[in-house]
Amino acid sequence: MKRKLSLMLVLMLIITIFVSACSKDSSTTDGSHSKGGSGDEKTLIFGRGADSIQLDPSKVTDGESIYVTNQIYDTLVRYEEESTEVRPALAEEWNVSDDGLTWTFKLREDVKFHDGNDFTAEDVVYNFERWASSSEFIYYGYMFGATDDNLKGIIENVEATDDYEVQITLSEPNAPFIYTLAMPPFGIASPKAVEEYGDDYFKNPVGTGPFIFEEWVPDDTITLVKNDDYFGEVAKIDKVIFRTIPDNGARFMELQSGTIDMMNGLNPQDIETAEADNNLEIIRRPSMNVSYLAMNTDHDGPLSEKLVRQAINHAVDKSELMTLFEGIGKEAKNPIPPSLWGYNDDIESYDYDPEKAKALLAEAGYADGFDVKLHIFSNPRDYMPQPKVTAQAIQEMLKEVNINVEIIESDWDSHLEAVENGKHDMAFLGWTGDNGDPDNFLYVLLDKDNAKKGSAGNIAFYKSDELHDLLKEAQIEMDQDKRTELYLKAQEIIHEDAPWLPIAHTTPPLAAHKKIKNYQPHPTGSEPFNLLDIEE
Amino acid sequence: MSLQPSPLPEPHATDQNSIYEHQGQSMWKRTISQLIKRKTSLIGFSIILFIVVTALLAPVIATHNPTAQSITDRYLAPSSEHYLGTDELGRDIFSRIVYGTRISIQIALISVGISLVIGVILGCLAGYFGRWIDQVIMRVIDVMMAFPSILLAIALVAVLGPGLKNAMIAVGIVGIPQFARIVRSIVMSVKETEYIEAARAIGAKHGRILFQHVLPNSLAPIIVQATLGMGTAILDAAGLSFLGLGAQPPTPEWGAMLSDGRAALQTAPWVVAFPGLAIFLFVLGFNLFGDGLRDAIDPRLKE
Repeated sequence: MKRKLSLMLVLMLIITIFVSACSKDSSTTDGSHSKGGSGDEKTLIFGRGADSIQLDPSKVTDGESIYVTNQIYDTLVRYEEESTEVRPALAEEWNVSDDGLTWTFKLREDVKFHDGNDFTAEDVVYNFERWASSSEFIYYGYMFGATDDNLKGIIENVEATDDYEVQITLSEPNAPFIYTLAMPPFGIASPKAVEEYGDDYFKNPVGTGPFIFEEWVPDDTITLVKNDDYFGEVAKIDKVIFRTIPDNGARFMELQSGTIDMMNGLNPQDIETAEADNNLEIIRRPSMNVSYLAMNTDHDGPLSEKLVRQAINHAVDKSELMTLFEGIGKEAKNPIPPSLWGYNDDIESYDYDPEKAKALLAEAGYADGFDVKLHIFSNPRDYMPQPKVTAQAIQEMLKEVNINVEIIESDWDSHLEAVENGKHDMAFLGWTGDNGDPDNFLYVLLDKDNAKKGSAGNIAFYKSDELHDLLKEAQIEMDQDKRTELYLKAQEIIHEDAPWLPIAHTTPPLAAHKKIKNYQPHPTGSEPFNLLDIEE
Repeated sequence: MSLQPSPLPEPHATDQNSIYEHQGQSMWKRTISQLIKRKTSLIGFSIILFIVVTALLAPVIATHNPTAQSITDRYLAPSSEHYLGTDELGRDIFSRIVYGTRISIQIALISVGISLVIGVILGCLAGYFGRWIDQVIMRVIDVMMAFPSILLAIALVAVLGPGLKNAMIAVGIVGIPQFARIVRSIVMSVKETEYIEAARAIGAKHGRILFQHVLPNSLAPIIVQATLGMGTAILDAAGLSFLGLGAQPPTPEWGAMLSDGRAALQTAPWVVAFPGLAIFLFVLGFNLFGDGLRDAIDPRLKE
């Protein structure tokens, strides 16, 4: 079965090679057109490491998909340009009842979907009902506590009280609720388009955002064009092309030669080269992420033992690892980044001490060590620019304490599938905060509610009732000081149980041509490009 | 005295020496003298000898442990401490390349061994028995040849799973068609000769005719193909490792070293340059020698 699948994949690969070989012509002519005719049309070519998985943000969790959908969709409320404070978007104003259960949103009346239909309150209701219709709407589940038995989660009812007014009733108060609504997965899709395209909707996204989807050539380019009727600030550029160039170095060379205008996933060692280049500029995204090595506590064997997981934390020298991040990373000791409120700075990081690690392993009955597999992704991520090198460094450090690590490298898509299904012993992954709330890290990545095989956010499959109670309490609590207390406590529990080896918080560098103006990277990892401009 | 020019896993060669000693000796002598006359084949032979000696003496030659990391010493330029510099994890590139010769020779021998054994058997069967056996075998071979070798190898590794062992098997399988075709064509011509007819007349069985009479006559081109195949095998295996499908970290395989070092292509070019050079030398050595061998050993292929 697996072999047949692999063979099929290979055949598909061969076909894709042919197809992409054929399509190359069109993309190169596109590129030269944009350069030659820059007087009339402004095209931004954005280079990145991996293709989007789906262009339906409600069904994905990966940054590469959201990078694009951020351009196409609007949410009820949106984040400020530089922070996670919320501002009006599709909703002009909103208020919440005193018990924190009923939210009323007054919607804009001048909004049209890209397919020409008017945006009304019914469309909002339709979207909420869609997200609550199945567990494949992963983020809805993460953020609103939906389970297979209760697909709606805490959102009890969504009702159009008027053509342009929506009322959302919650079953319990939810402190981060309004911040959550600004997250890209809750972008409002055109109900007509969703119905029309059905299972193919993710390839034909229709929203209200500043750019309109035009074309998707898988593993090559995604093209968007300006939406002249956008209700907000109409885009300054006419076209955005997202190009997938998996290799960091190759992407950087394309930037140097001018075939792309901007890129993410810069190799840290290329920062210096870019800074020395008169045509290029380094733009640093504010840090709100974490990279980690998750230990699958669900597998019988050494990693299900707390002592072993603590030993692994003691066996890795993070200050050495940081050298590999070339100045863009800071050692992590907690799952949430220090830029977030509720960060517990009193926690003492597990010190690097191989002897102590060995002692702990012996205590757990693994004095002779053991063999373990580490799943890693091959492409760079903002929170981990060089996964393979980092993995090899950890491999060598764990060898010191007799743990033999076999590194299993796969592309982003297959990696996510493997880890979400719990096929790993250990795995690399990371997270960029979505809404500036600790809940978005701790509940999504470490609560037992999200340790479901198939859509796991908690890929350590770490199940602690004590932590669960705390996190649930913090969701309902509306007082921020009290919430802070709860999150400080939660981090202590996580530190003690050590389901992760937290690795780093990074300040991801982007590189762009100097002609790119007004680009403000958002801490959540991506942002709409409507304010960005190109000046030759 | 070993007259075999390269360390080939040649299963049929040794047991034939007694019967074909006279003919064999003269053939080998002629070959050697031809080889010595050609500068290119001598160069090729020297490179191979150099690589083999390096592999044998790797622990003596290497200055560092090939997998020992020292992250603070990463990307050091070549110096007297690190002859070829250090890589992204501060490992000594010189030592890694030296140990890499062992892996490369292992890959070359095992892959070519697989191609050779299976290819020769298939070629013999097809050529000797003809008819539908020939049809079936050769059509399968045609299908295999229709794919670019690296693509077929990727497909096979995708089925078998990544890893050095599987990469060697994949590269070995990909090399089968060359051997099968060469052996088949020779078997077809030899089996019509009078001495085979004579053997058949005195009641020799198929196996005896094939292995004692037909095969020894195909030895020369098989050896040539095996030598040339080593270069191709190492190139394909390096390609697989480059794509992350072959040798897994921290194995100091040259292709994997190339792949890991490319992040620093602009800032620390030595990380990729030297493994690349090593692959180049290895392939060059076997190709030069194989070419020379072909010209020397097989008068039919000359000119």
